[in-house]
Amino acid sequence: MPPSYPDIPKAFELTGQPLVTFATTGEPASVVGIGVVWDWSYTNAHFTMLLVIALLTAISVLATRRLSDRPSGLQNFIELLVQGLADFVESIGGPGVQKYLPLFGTLLLFLVTSNWLSVVPFVGQVTWLHAPTADYHINAGLAILAFALYQAEGFRKNGATYVRRWVNLSGFMEKGGLKFMLGPIFLLVGLIEFASEIFRILTLTLRLWGNVLGGEIMLVVMSALLFVPGLALPFVGLEVFIGLVQGLIFSLLVLIYFILATESHEEHGETEHALEPHPDDVDLAHARPQAA
Amino acid sequence: MNLAWLAAGIAVGFGVLGPGIGIGILTAKSSEAMGRNPDAAATIRTNMIIGAALAEGLGILAFVLGILLSGKA
Repeated sequence: MPPSYPDIPKAFELTGQPLVTFATTGEPASVVGIGVVWDWSYTNAHFTMLLVIALLTAISVLATRRLSDRPSGLQNFIELLVQGLADFVESIGGPGVQKYLPLFGTLLLFLVTSNWLSVVPFVGQVTWLHAPTADYHINAGLAILAFALYQAEGFRKNGATYVRRWVNLSGFMEKGGLKFMLGPIFLLVGLIEFASEIFRILTLTLRLWGNVLGGEIMLVVMSALLFVPGLALPFVGLEVFIGLVQGLIFSLLVLIYFILATESHEEHGETEHALEPHPDDVDLAHARPQAA
Repeated sequence: MNLAWLAAGIAVGFGVLGPGIGIGILTAKSSEAMGRNPDAAATIRTNMIIGAALAEGLGILAFVLGILLSGKA
């Protein structure tokens, strides 16, 4: 008889489990073949999310309670962190992208803290604790929020011409020869562009969820394979790295979608201009003393 | 015998193949670039990690599919 192995899908909760259920439909309703349950409840992922928010808020309050011109200790560390983030954002999209720093930084801090929580012992194994990013509802919520925000920003920046990237009729205006065939091709390209916008939500969600959940499963499987829990420590290090990278990827992709949505498709040349820092702009990110 | 386990194994195995090749090429090329131009190593490393995570996302899709399939067993 072969040795039994843990039943992964049953041993691991793919989503948070409800602690308090306010209302539920009970029976799953079939939406295009996928069973969907409308379930309004307070889950353990919500609870852990509150813990993350409390932790981040406490650190921010502690760091900014006594501000001094010569920072030391926690204030120094936070300033280094924020300056590093500002530097990074500017290296991606130039000084004009600095206004998306609050969104980018908040997403990054929240996601990285949540990802690192999944490595902490007992998180994911006891009833009240479930890493927020290991529940795809939370990732999907963040992805949909980011989607709505960058579409709104695109419409605000480009006005009605923003839809031209999906419905491009300029091909029909071309005169001469076989150029009339450009119209349908441009329409098709716009359709593909539109589909890729929708799929961004799906990939953002699943990438983060799969990585965090896969990491949790890998840690347990490695501990079980090696028989001694301490021997799985190198994989904990790997998971910490993956948590940082995946949080960075999510927020960085959101930032890049913002840049893509706000850049103008009108003429060539403007695109490159928007992505390059203007030499005359105030360089906030580099206005710091030289490091030794 | 439940074929869902087999399906899960095949889905994950083949799905991880592509990202594996992609990350291999990515790492080889960026190591080469870092060797040629060590001054740009920091930028290249950042881009390499971003690209690796993007490629890995596709493998993760296969992994999620495998998890869902093995849940059917």
